Amino acid sequence: MEQFEQLLTCCVCLDRYRIPKLLPCQHSFCMEPCMEGLVDYVRRQVKCPECRAEHRIPYNGVQAFPTNVTLQRFLELHIEITGELPDPTSGQIMERCGVCSEKAYLSHCAHCEKKICEDCKSAHMDILRREITRFNSQIRRSLHRLQDSLAIIEKNTMSLQTNAISVTEEIDEIYQRITKAIKDRSDQLKGEIDRYLAVELRNLTTLKENLDLEITNIGSNCDIVDKYMNETVEWDDCELMDTKEIFLKTVEFLRHFEYENNDYSRRVRFLVSIDPNQLVMNLATFGDLNIAPHSTPGGSVSSSHLAPPSGLQPGLMRSKSDHRLATQFRQQEERGGYNDEPVLGGRKFGERPQRSATTANSDRYGEGSRYGRSDYDYENDYENESTGGRTGKSSRFRSRFVRSHQNDDSDTEQQQQQRQQELKERKERVLDSEDVSRGQLSGIIRLSDCSRVVQRLADIGKEKKSDKKSDAACAAQAAVQAAIQNQKAAMQRQQQKQSAAAADEDELARQKRKSVTAGAAGAATSSSEAVPEQRPTSERLASLKTTRGGEDSDGSGSNQAAASSPVRTATAATRAESKPPVSAQVAAVKKTQRSGSSDSSASTESSASSGAAAAAAAVAAAATPSSSQHKAPSTARHSSARDSVASSAVPEKKPFVSRFLPQHSNPPSASNGTSDKKKAESSSSSEEETSSESESESEPETKPKASTSSTATASKSTPSSASSSTTAATSAGSSSTSGSSYRDRLEARRASRDDTALASRSSYATPSSSGYGSAGSSSTARTRTVPAPHHASESEDRYGSSSTGTGTGSSYTSRFLNKSKSSAIVTQPSLSTPTASFDEDANGTGDDSDSRYGTGRSRYLAMKERRTRLARSRSSHQFGNEDEDLDEPVSPTTVSPSAYLASRYSGYGSSDLSRSRSSHALKSRDNSPITDRSAGSSRAGALGSSSTDNKDGEALSSWARYLKNKYGSKSSKDTPSGSAGSARDSHAASSTAASSSHAHGTGSSGSGRSTASEVSRRLSLGLPLRQANELASSDDDGSKNGLGSPTSPTVAAAVAAAGITGVAGTIPKQVYLRKRQQLFQLGGRGSEPGSFTWPRGLAVGPDNSIVVADSSNHRVQVFDSNGIFVKEFGEYGSGEGEFDCLAGVAVNRIGQYIIADRYNHRIQVLDPQGRFLRAFGSQGTADGKFNYPWGVTTDALGFIYVCDKENHRVQVFQSDGSFVGKFGSCGRGEGQLEHPHYIAVSNTNRVIVSDSNNHRIQIFDVNGKVLSTVGGEGSDDGQFKFPRGVAVDDQGYIFVADSGNNRIQIFNPDGSFLKTFGSWGSGDSEFKGLEGVAIMSNGNILVCDRENHRVQVF
Amino acid sequence: MSSLPRRIIKETQRLMQEPVPGINAIPDENNARYFHVIVTGPNDSPFEGGVFKLELFLPEDYPMSAPKVRFITKIYHPNIDRLGRICLDVLKDKWSPALQIRTILLSIQALLSAPNPDDPLANDVAELWKVNEAEAIRNAREWTQKYAVED
Repeated sequence: MEQFEQLLTCCVCLDRYRIPKLLPCQHSFCMEPCMEGLVDYVRRQVKCPECRAEHRIPYNGVQAFPTNVTLQRFLELHIEITGELPDPTSGQIMERCGVCSEKAYLSHCAHCEKKICEDCKSAHMDILRREITRFNSQIRRSLHRLQDSLAIIEKNTMSLQTNAISVTEEIDEIYQRITKAIKDRSDQLKGEIDRYLAVELRNLTTLKENLDLEITNIGSNCDIVDKYMNETVEWDDCELMDTKEIFLKTVEFLRHFEYENNDYSRRVRFLVSIDPNQLVMNLATFGDLNIAPHSTPGGSVSSSHLAPPSGLQPGLMRSKSDHRLATQFRQQEERGGYNDEPVLGGRKFGERPQRSATTANSDRYGEGSRYGRSDYDYENDYENESTGGRTGKSSRFRSRFVRSHQNDDSDTEQQQQQRQQELKERKERVLDSEDVSRGQLSGIIRLSDCSRVVQRLADIGKEKKSDKKSDAACAAQAAVQAAIQNQKAAMQRQQQKQSAAAADEDELARQKRKSVTAGAAGAATSSSEAVPEQRPTSERLASLKTTRGGEDSDGSGSNQAAASSPVRTATAATRAESKPPVSAQVAAVKKTQRSGSSDSSASTESSASSGAAAAAAAVAAAATPSSSQHKAPSTARHSSARDSVASSAVPEKKPFVSRFLPQHSNPPSASNGTSDKKKAESSSSSEEETSSESESESEPETKPKASTSSTATASKSTPSSASSSTTAATSAGSSSTSGSSYRDRLEARRASRDDTALASRSSYATPSSSGYGSAGSSSTARTRTVPAPHHASESEDRYGSSSTGTGTGSSYTSRFLNKSKSSAIVTQPSLSTPTASFDEDANGTGDDSDSRYGTGRSRYLAMKERRTRLARSRSSHQFGNEDEDLDEPVSPTTVSPSAYLASRYSGYGSSDLSRSRSSHALKSRDNSPITDRSAGSSRAGALGSSSTDNKDGEALSSWARYLKNKYGSKSSKDTPSGSAGSARDSHAASSTAASSSHAHGTGSSGSGRSTASEVSRRLSLGLPLRQANELASSDDDGSKNGLGSPTSPTVAAAVAAAGITGVAGTIPKQVYLRKRQQLFQLGGRGSEPGSFTWPRGLAVGPDNSIVVADSSNHRVQVFDSNGIFVKEFGEYGSGEGEFDCLAGVAVNRIGQYIIADRYNHRIQVLDPQGRFLRAFGSQGTADGKFNYPWGVTTDALGFIYVCDKENHRVQVFQSDGSFVGKFGSCGRGEGQLEHPHYIAVSNTNRVIVSDSNNHRIQIFDVNGKVLSTVGGEGSDDGQFKFPRGVAVDDQGYIFVADSGNNRIQIFNPDGSFLKTFGSWGSGDSEFKGLEGVAIMSNGNILVCDRENHRVQVF
Repeated sequence: MSSLPRRIIKETQRLMQEPVPGINAIPDENNARYFHVIVTGPNDSPFEGGVFKLELFLPEDYPMSAPKVRFITKIYHPNIDRLGRICLDVLKDKWSPALQIRTILLSIQALLSAPNPDDPLANDVAELWKVNEAEAIRNAREWTQKYAVED
């Protein structure tokens, strides 16, 4: 055999003879290039390499030597026996390469459009590959533009919708306004007509009656005269005279009477001021929709740096995202048909441009060469595909492809041809499968849909398999089959013609499988001569298969003979290299590519890597959730950390409880606590806090006892101070009416600190400050006495007996307060163990405190008197009030946690805490001791009053009683008995207090409000921090102490379990969970008081009033907490106190109304009576300007937060309207906003914004840093559709008006979903178009049900 | 450099797969047309036991022109000069494309067995070879021992 092969080998080229030419010496050589090379052109001789015989060259050149036909037959025979594929270049004639001018077998290069040699061609293909890679990266880089524009389109869709909605709303509003105007006018006119008619009718009737009377009278007169005025009857002269006179008069009357007909003619006429036709015309065209001219962002999408290859240009140019272009393109496409489609000249993917020049199809070798070429093509185009720069293809490729096969088959076997025919038909049907996923904009098809790509990918697997041994081949085959299955599945999943494609695929797969088995068999039989009969089939199959894949003869040879032929073509080699080593990976790759979208294209070289990438992607996908989970907890942790402030609120709640707890459950510890506390008290710095505690504690205590015990002190109080104390108490109380929450106190505290403290500070700053301070403190002391008497029965003696004085004037109060506080604490325990605790008190505090108490008391009395004098002499109630307000309450807030801890954790914890707290206090006192102190005290006041209020009716009544007792008969008018009365009173008082404090703030300080605000700002900035620190530290300490879990729920639960707190301890969560039933509703459509037209914003005033922005009635309505109309203010317009479709409304702690005057693009601030105070803002995008401001809210410090809806941001202002900051920009990212509607601020300074068009709620801190994001688009729990109103209660629970879903959702403070209720409709608990929500302090949820023109309360 | 002609590849492969006894030709790593050749001295010749290094270069128009071959190891041979150039007809005018690397190297090996002092290149050697063959052969042996025997 070897010799046989040797005989068929040209000795010059050592290859198979190609056109062997026989020399006269009987030696044969290939015509080209061997014989050519032997020619001696000079001598026109050829020298036989074998025998060195020299022969003349015939005239026609070496071609003229006879072909060695026998040898050629042998060659053919050899080919048939071995199944060896012919040399691709056989039958070709060498030409000069179009590039390197070397003589070689040329093939056409699609790159340079020339016939070039293989070397140059592979170089060109390299160039192409590089270019494709470059384009690919370019495309990858610029793909985001498409994605961006996709996002933009989505955004535009959104804004289009919102725009349409808002325009519709506007139209509706105008329609409402116009119809209302017309209706009002016509009603009025009709009324006037009615009146007119009535009047005229009455006139006429009177006239008629009179005339009737006249006629009757005159007639009877005439009759009488006729009958009796003759001689028959005697008439005296007088009578006759009179008769004559009457008749004369009658004559005169008749002569002069003339009915003024013009009465009747005074007809009413309806005068139309405007020509009705004109009016109708005007109305008919009362508005026009102005659609802004569409400015096409020319080429903005098509990237400048994405220079599309010329072949792809038309397609890519179209990708300019202009849908008009797209339609145009489609039309054009339809007109021209796909084949005329300019992209790729309408060729099918991978098809070689039709060219006449190429080989003779009759020649089998030529056919073979074509295979080779198609292979290269394929490679090229595959690369092309991978860049995504896929372009349109015509069906010709396939047909030609098939035809070539057909030819091939016809050369070999009929039966095969038949099958091929079938295949071809199928293929013809499937022709357009590539067009299925063709991008309508660019005309780019998806590579993975292109059957050639599929084929190529399949070949990768197959080739790889063929490389393996037969056993490995099985595995590979399985993998390939799996891949094919996947492909098929993917195919079937795809649209339309894909089913046909699947059939095609099926066919291919079958054939492939068959060929694979054949190939495997061939490989198994190694040299395969043993099965010659089997050969042709397998060969054919193999060739079929490989031709599909574009393998050249070597490739197929290797396919058959497995590893027997180690030499490969360069392309085969590259492909082999690119083959992923693991069959599974092949499958994976194929799967990805098959099912992948066009952008998941991968080149052959990168197929393995893409597989890996896919795997990596999978891993990444797997990893992402976990990472996100990681993130989530971390954020949660963050939020919880953030919430430490919030959670601190809960500990804050404790004091209430704790103070009670020790009495009932833990007396010993309580006593311990008290002793410790005494120590704490003995440290002089803890004055306010402790005293405040005493305040808060003593008040509850007071209630039962107050009536009897406090008269003595009460008698000392002046009316003014009485009212002021009431004010103080109620101002705080009204701002913190909720029974359950300690937060209110916080709020109140902060509030009071903000302004009142300020005010007090300024007041203290006056020359008379010292006197004042003492006055204030004494007033506090006086107030404090009220508690004192409660336990006075036990402790008064002590006060009295201890007589040594140590304290200074200023410290006196505090010490006194300390005392009272401690005694208060003692009192509590004393309920259960009176003597013990009292002893404890006495012992623990010992001489020191006792003596001080004594001093305190004596001094206190003195100071009190002085204070009253001072107050009287100054006769400034307000100052008194102020001081009262500030001092009386004495900071229970800060203290209370410590008190709580002290009692609860007994001992060092408390002292530590109190110490630390006091150090805090000291720190702040460094700046302004008085202010701080007063602030603290005001805080305390807030607490005290709120605690009182917390007790609800009973509490109120007792509070009233307390007040009454305290201030005696003088103040009794001010405080009518009964809880309602006192409540009302407190409301009134609170408003006055607010206003007075305000006035005070502005008035008393000479430098004016600006300095005041500065100071307040400093304070507000500084103090909350401190407070937060305190709270956090207390929390920390609590946890350090390790007694139970310091978290709020537990404590709350404990509180509930203890059952002590009653109303105060209600857990909002459970309340909220029960929310479903509507309590009552307000309004109904209309413009009269109590009705609404499209209400929007909602707010709850400090006195629990319900404030509704009655948007399309351009007014604000105020209802009391029971929904009874109180007042309204505002009207349409753009002047002061006038509104144009106001949206958001908020009420600050001093009762001022802050209103987002939407269409006037401004914020208005109105005083509690509804009188205009100030306005700020105008339309624009600069700082402090608005574009349809919507939601508005205010925090405890008085900062105003405005949802600047169309500017997609939130702006923050000081209460005087000066710009503070802004955050948010249009977008979907974190911290970005799109049409933020409503806003709420929790008392932990979390700013909650309904990011409406992003369907989420974002929570910021006050500086605009995103803390968390809640929700996403959808209608599941915790998802939103255009959320609007948001509210947050004092516990941090968040309420969202999920407008698009027509429901209210409630979230826990940590953002987790708690509850939802409501549905579409107009019945109870049903909504149509939600707007604002608000939370009342009693936990009632107010919901603005816009389209139903009502407010529902839950 | 343009790609290697198919013939060279085939020849190289065949040289690797079916090496000729006593001849070892390895293409250079950097240049496939340059071969490092080792030819052992034929038995029954003065060069027996010697290992002779040669270099072989296939010119651009190979196989239409003869390869260039040169001895690197010094050798005492009338047809090989001091520079290692070889006087061999098949390397010159008798070259035929039908010849191959292996045939050329076999010819060289044969040349070692049968020096041809009538067509000398190293004239002094040829002279001595003609005048005193025994001494020449002895010299050749010495040289072989001196230059062509490892260690």
